[in-house]
Amino acid sequence: MKTTNRRQFFKRMALAGVGVMAAPLLSAKSAVAMKLRPRHDEDVGMLYDATKCIGCRSCEVACKKANGMPFEYDPQGIWDAPIDLSDKTLTIVKLYTGDQEQSFIKRQCMHCVDPACVSGCPTSALIKQDNGVVTWNIDACVGCRYCQMGCPFNIPKYEFDAQYGRIRKCEMCANNGLLDKGQTACSNACPTGAIAFGIQQDLIKTAKSRIRKNPGTYFQDKIYGELDSGGTGVLYMAGVPFDKLGLPDLPEYSSARISEGIQHTIYQNMVAPIVIYIGLAIAAFRNIRKSHKKTEE
Amino acid sequence: MAHVNAKPLGGKILTPSVILMLFVAGAGIYFLFVRYIYGIGAVSNLSNYMPWGIWKVINVIVGAALVCGGYACAFTVYLFNQGHYHRYVRPALLISLLGYSFAGFSLFYDVGRYWGLFNFLIPKYWQGNSVLFEVGLCVMTYIGVLSLEIAPAIIEKFSHVEGRLRVVLDKLYAFLDRFLFLIISLGILLPTMHQSGLGGLAVVMGQKISPLWQSPLISLHHLISCMAMGYGCVIVTEMLVSHDYKETQHMEILSQLAKVMFMIMFVFLVLRMSEVLRSGAMALAFKGNLDSISFWTEMLLMVGGLWCVRNDQVRMKPNNIFLGSCLIMAAGSLYRLNVYIIGFHPVPGVTYFPSVPELSISLGMVCLQLIFFIMIIKTFPIIAKERR
Ligand code: SF4
Ligand code: SF4
Repeated sequence: MKTTNRRQFFKRMALAGVGVMAAPLLSAKSAVAMKLRPRHDEDVGMLYDATKCIGCRSCEVACKKANGMPFEYDPQGIWDAPIDLSDKTLTIVKLYTGDQEQSFIKRQCMHCVDPACVSGCPTSALIKQDNGVVTWNIDACVGCRYCQMGCPFNIPKYEFDAQYGRIRKCEMCANNGLLDKGQTACSNACPTGAIAFGIQQDLIKTAKSRIRKNPGTYFQDKIYGELDSGGTGVLYMAGVPFDKLGLPDLPEYSSARISEGIQHTIYQNMVAPIVIYIGLAIAAFRNIRKSHKKTEE
Repeated sequence: MAHVNAKPLGGKILTPSVILMLFVAGAGIYFLFVRYIYGIGAVSNLSNYMPWGIWKVINVIVGAALVCGGYACAFTVYLFNQGHYHRYVRPALLISLLGYSFAGFSLFYDVGRYWGLFNFLIPKYWQGNSVLFEVGLCVMTYIGVLSLEIAPAIIEKFSHVEGRLRVVLDKLYAFLDRFLFLIISLGILLPTMHQSGLGGLAVVMGQKISPLWQSPLISLHHLISCMAMGYGCVIVTEMLVSHDYKETQHMEILSQLAKVMFMIMFVFLVLRMSEVLRSGAMALAFKGNLDSISFWTEMLLMVGGLWCVRNDQVRMKPNNIFLGSCLIMAAGSLYRLNVYIIGFHPVPGVTYFPSVPELSISLGMVCLQLIFFIMIIKTFPIIAKERR
């Protein structure tokens, strides 16, 4: 009697195991097959052309002013001299120097087509607006910093030194009213036209025509962000490899697609959890009754 | 058989070890004050590149997995009708309840805008795509479910009261007993959801996590390993709080639990290895850097734990299953640490090691949890005692 019981136990255990294992396998497959998020016609963005940038950092200054951001002083306390994006600096121009080559690079939030930060944010503090801009809402934010963990470009910054820190990142001037006027502070300030603001689809066309007109100028004739990480709203062109400029090699889909694909497959309309719950309840009910009976005997 | 006679252990609460733990907890609480006044940056080594540290990873993610005993027990006892494991249910549930409550509490000092945690309950802020949202909601509900599961023990404690309260308590007891199956099945469903979710959190981090750990199956890896850790936790607790295992009859039951733990952990090992081989990440294990060292340590702990409980014979020796359980719990914990801290590379060259205050808070909270556990098993009927 005892052995049959035990054998049954292990058999059921194994069956349950197979079931649990099969579910995510199926879902991983459907996650990849799931349609990628499209770039919408009305999405606005920016095109940064590193070959036109002279590194004057006018955009940095304009950004700080428009958003009322504090300075990060150099050791002498004279200049605003941030060395990286931070909770005080939403955009930055850096210089890359290689053996033969040299290039400036302006960094900021990419306003991804399929943003990992938005997908992860548990309380809808980060939202992708209808115009493609990714904004942050102070009332909703928990400060969990999952957005920082998720963003493939390490963009969101948290104010670790504040009692109640905020997430700081570029909101494409949606937060300061400039975007409503169809402008951004940095593109306005740029003296060479290295930063262009506009509808993303138009920017891609502009970029393609630049590539056509200037063969051999652009690295791999590539527009970084056209497809990378599922596409980004801020697009890059440069004369040097993008990974040298801190723009990582990413697959042509966002990690959010995989994550949400798995999540949706398992929890679609909550059908699976409810069915499993009913099954569990029946099993538990029968087993509890059985054991009650046994005790009575 | 199903009936278990649980009794309070009684005895002095302020033993020397408890006093020591109180000191550690005190240090942690002191630094908690500092954290609340001056912010997270003042006490921790967290940075914008390493925004999740030991608070989230050890106190929440590892913590929740280590206390999975309630889940593992409910699974065995009620789903597979293995009534003779019944005596482990209450201690396991208590540990789960404490562990989850502390994990929940840890979030209140880990997140920066803690009052915002209540946004999880406000529908307009809900975000169904977010794994973290799902995990958060599941954990909150599960804490409630665990309280219901443990409530009979509390009611039994007040068995001597008379009058109106008696009637109410009896009704409540009968009610809980009748709907036990609904509560229990929630107690199985919810951990399945959030334990896999605790791994699912990593998916969106994409290639920031080393391919040695990142995988589309990472939720499954977390789910399976947490079950083994849960059984380990049940075995270790039982052997620490009661000496019944010195009798062969009890040892047999424990060794069967160890067998289940062995099988589950073995499945985990096979899954992990096949995934590492499939994704071609194996080369990274021979780089000789921290990642590879940590990977092999994890594997060693796992294989060592499995070895300790490899067959029925060795499983009859208390030392073996105790050590095996500890090693398997350590392996599962290191696995989680590897996913979220050691294998997490937002940009090359970023390192993180917790600061002293950060460690004090983590450790202090663990001690506080143990103190609570000791206090409760000494005053409430949690532990089954036979012929003693
Ligand atoms: S770059 Fe990062 S922060 Fe900006 S939208 Fe993309 S994922 Fe979000
Ligand atoms: S820190 Fe705030 S914005 Fe970032 S994921 Fe958490 S709740 Fe969302």
